Amino acid sequence: MSLVRNFIEDWSRYRRSIDEGGFHEYEHMWGMVIDLDKCTGCNACSVACYAENNLAVVGEDKFENGQGMHWMRIERYWDEPNIGNERVRDTQEHGASFMPMMCQQCNSATCEPVCPVSAAYHTPDGLNAQIYNRCVGSRYCANNCPYRLRYFNFFSYYEDSWPSPLDMQLNPDITVRDKGVMEKCTFCVQRIRSTKNAAKMEDRQVVDGEVQTACQQTCPTSAIVFGDLLDHESDVHKLWHKHQTRLGTTKQKKDNPELRGYRLYEQLNTEPSVTYLERVRDV
Amino acid sequence: MSKIEFDRRDFLKVMGVSGVAATVAGCDMPSYITSEEGAEEVIPYLSPEEFVIPGVGVHYASTCLQCPATCGIRGRVREGRVLKLEGNPKSALNTGKLCQMGQAGLQTHYNPDRLTKPLVRKDGALAEATWEDALALIEEKTGPSSGLSGGRFAWLTGTISGHQSVLLKAHLESLGSSSHFVHEVINTRVWQAVCQDMLGQSMPRLRIDKAKMVLSFGADFLGTWMSPIHFSADYARFRSGEDRGMLVQAEPSMSLTGANADLWVALRPGTEGVMALGLANVLINKERMDASALPAAALELINQYGVSRTTKMTGIAGDRLIRIARHLKERSPSLVLAGASAAGHVGGYQSVQAAMLLNILLGNIDQTIEASGDFALPQLASVSGGTSDLSRFADAAGAGKLDAVFFDGSNPLFAAPNHLGLTEKFDSIPFKVAFSQFMDETTAHADVVLPMASALEDWGTHVAAYQGGDHEIAFQQPLMEPIYPGTRSFGDMLLALNSMRNPGSYDGLEDYYGYLQSAVGSIPGVLKGEDDEAINVSAWNRILQDGRLQMPVDTRAFTSNLSMDDMDVRDADPAFPYYLVPTPRGTLYDGRHANIPWLQESPDQISKVVWNSWAEIHPVTAAKLAVEEGDVITVTTPDGVLEVPVYIHKGIHVDVVAVPMGQGHEDYGRYARGRGVNPLKILQPGSDAKTGELALYGSRAALAATGRAGRLIKMGNTETQHGRKIVATITAEQQRRNEGDS
Ligand code: SF4
Ligand code: SF4
Ligand code: SF4
Repeated sequence: MSLVRNFIEDWSRYRRSIDEGGFHEYEHMWGMVIDLDKCTGCNACSVACYAENNLAVVGEDKFENGQGMHWMRIERYWDEPNIGNERVRDTQEHGASFMPMMCQQCNSATCEPVCPVSAAYHTPDGLNAQIYNRCVGSRYCANNCPYRLRYFNFFSYYEDSWPSPLDMQLNPDITVRDKGVMEKCTFCVQRIRSTKNAAKMEDRQVVDGEVQTACQQTCPTSAIVFGDLLDHESDVHKLWHKHQTRLGTTKQKKDNPELRGYRLYEQLNTEPSVTYLERVRDV
Repeated sequence: MSKIEFDRRDFLKVMGVSGVAATVAGCDMPSYITSEEGAEEVIPYLSPEEFVIPGVGVHYASTCLQCPATCGIRGRVREGRVLKLEGNPKSALNTGKLCQMGQAGLQTHYNPDRLTKPLVRKDGALAEATWEDALALIEEKTGPSSGLSGGRFAWLTGTISGHQSVLLKAHLESLGSSSHFVHEVINTRVWQAVCQDMLGQSMPRLRIDKAKMVLSFGADFLGTWMSPIHFSADYARFRSGEDRGMLVQAEPSMSLTGANADLWVALRPGTEGVMALGLANVLINKERMDASALPAAALELINQYGVSRTTKMTGIAGDRLIRIARHLKERSPSLVLAGASAAGHVGGYQSVQAAMLLNILLGNIDQTIEASGDFALPQLASVSGGTSDLSRFADAAGAGKLDAVFFDGSNPLFAAPNHLGLTEKFDSIPFKVAFSQFMDETTAHADVVLPMASALEDWGTHVAAYQGGDHEIAFQQPLMEPIYPGTRSFGDMLLALNSMRNPGSYDGLEDYYGYLQSAVGSIPGVLKGEDDEAINVSAWNRILQDGRLQMPVDTRAFTSNLSMDDMDVRDADPAFPYYLVPTPRGTLYDGRHANIPWLQESPDQISKVVWNSWAEIHPVTAAKLAVEEGDVITVTTPDGVLEVPVYIHKGIHVDVVAVPMGQGHEDYGRYARGRGVNPLKILQPGSDAKTGELALYGSRAALAATGRAGRLIKMGNTETQHGRKIVATITAEQQRRNEGDS
């Protein structure tokens, strides 16, 4: 009898959709929404991330070799495939298309299974984490990331990046990475940690809005929304719901295909935790 | 705490409150703010040691001085070091947000190239000196026994406000001088002059959030214009919901704001006013809009700019002009703005005036352009800088009218075009004192260099020129102890200079902090009740916790004076067929942030170039010159030549070459020195007739290929999405259908 019940319980847990945390016992499923119509491409988020996460300035030579460490990078495209390339005539009539790109914290991350030492792994918070002191620098993960947002320390950048007293600014909550280590956006895990700890000390749940990522906090147009997708009262959950994006699919089934939410390259079955809202133009 | 010795009238004046009976509404100070790190409080920097708990961060409120907008900041401080800056959510200007320059304030503060010791020029070279020697020299040259007086002494600063401005004026007065040159390359002076003349107020509130359409003639309100972080939040509201606003940006080369436009129009430089009049013409003659609000002279002028003439002068197709006019009529209230690229011409004032005329015709006054009133304490109000002060300063120096100049917060020798000949004129001034944090181009030519505390180490009060609704005094307080004991506070220096001129009169004021507390205490109703003598310490602490003091707003209605002058559009010179645009960008700004590694490595918002200068040209121009991206061209004006690699894109008028400001430093530390070119240097003479502002956008250039490939380091290897769905775009019509409720 109890065998059957166990089986049924386990089965229903196993069958639980990833929206509800899947078969993992997720505590949280941190997710994001970036509204591309509000994003102005200003770069404030990117610099905020440098300040928060001890990102090295590599200098022009290394930047030229593709070693810039911008965990958050604002890509800029001139064409607009959705409203037709031919619209980009002799002037750039509808401005630029900006894309804030950072680790999409995929829930079936292509970078994780290829790591020979499991330095890239998934946390019970739904984060795609990197264990720096386990990383051996094989770079398989970066090779496998379809978004190209893993950054490798080819050198000991810290030797030149923070000449004294610039080093006094380094955030003591996280490390400075050395040569041979892979790094990328963590969804500001140190902020998540300290908020969770504070909540635990007060014997309560983390409330929506309490954790702000550095990029979100500074964004002048509030284009970035961050929170727990498992918390149905959270802004991020409501926005996913409103724009009908969900985890657990490679193609969103929408009642209304005009709703703006989409996940980047979700057809690759990476299960990204970031929903982008389409840019809008009055054409 | 400080005992004040001098008489009450002088006291009020030097405290910045004379002549006003402003009482701050109620003494109902807001309660403590809790910060995001659990339960710690935002605390004032009074006894910092008590708040140093190992491993725990606390937050202090202060003010960002990375540009003149003066957004509120909060610094996260741990173990006595400031680690991170965030926007101050209590600030009505920036409500918790910061731009990238604001974020990078940390690297100005911790910059490895800060000045740490006073320097005095000996035998032609700057040599280390003690503070005593440096101050003794200043006393000798500018003290009471120097005989110096009147306009032979001057201050040259950047935009300044608050109590620093009060003390600076007191110092000038003590010398009998009124020569205060206020220099700012990126400014809104022409806009302010037009608003003052036409509406009777220089800084009306601009409600981008209430507008259904914004037509901007080069006003980069998301990047560098007026108060970009305030406007970014307004813009987010403008863009959301059922009535998503439409943005049309007309300018010679794409700004960050232009990059976000629904419709971006490449405009021939200097024809902004013509386009505005052409639109007015269509609105009146084709769309039958009521023009009774406009004076006859203006109507006469508008009638001269019919569609075909406007098209010919601006290069904008007639059907496009008519479409924009129709949108403006349909989407009321709208808002028409005019920024630096409209104002920076010989006829800049007229262009901005024409934009304002359009606002009046469209009925936007009191709708999206609101009266804001004057700041209740005029002595604290912002003294906003401009470039006319740079040329006036060059004239005064060149005519040998100056014996001693003190300068702070501005780098005129970097910003001055070659035609002003400022370096020689500057060197001819007998005594020049730099209050500086860095060895910039101007500081390198000073006779005495006084190393200043950073903005994050100092006290101050600031009043933004553009107030976002509530009028506020922004408080700047140290976020940590000075890194270098050899540096001093600017406020302390102002007190010392005043005491030097009037020995004894400032004795009761121990330091600038003490002065500020007394000064704020003397604003009626802030720190004291009606008859109280003692300062209410908890009220003071709360001001410092908030970083802001709200002031009463005495709103004054607009007055109107609608004069209108004809456009002054200069013909092209066939020898110099291109227009040179020195682009302002919210990265290196006017060059002041070229010494910040984060910002040097922050890809340009448009070109994505890092660590260097580039020239933007249109593909048509590139084909004419037979150059590809990265090839070096020469940009020649009658005033000089630049060699710079090209970046080719379609966000620029075909007759324009745009070179960003900021690089081309000869000095200014390891990150800035010897990098790129400075387009300001080769600008041609010319200024707006009405305001005297330099015509920064009015220069003509010739371009030539050098046949050399240069180095253009960019983020990303592709300019297109190759048909993939990376940034997807839908039409506003689709968005309106579905998001009516948000
Ligand atoms: S800070 Fe916000 S608006 Fe600026 S680039 Fe980042 S996401 Fe976009
Ligand atoms: S979430 Fe944090 S780590 Fe990730 S991009 Fe934003 S600031 Fe950087
Ligand atoms: S706009 Fe940016 S640099 Fe200017 S005051 Fe605000 S945060 Fe600072």
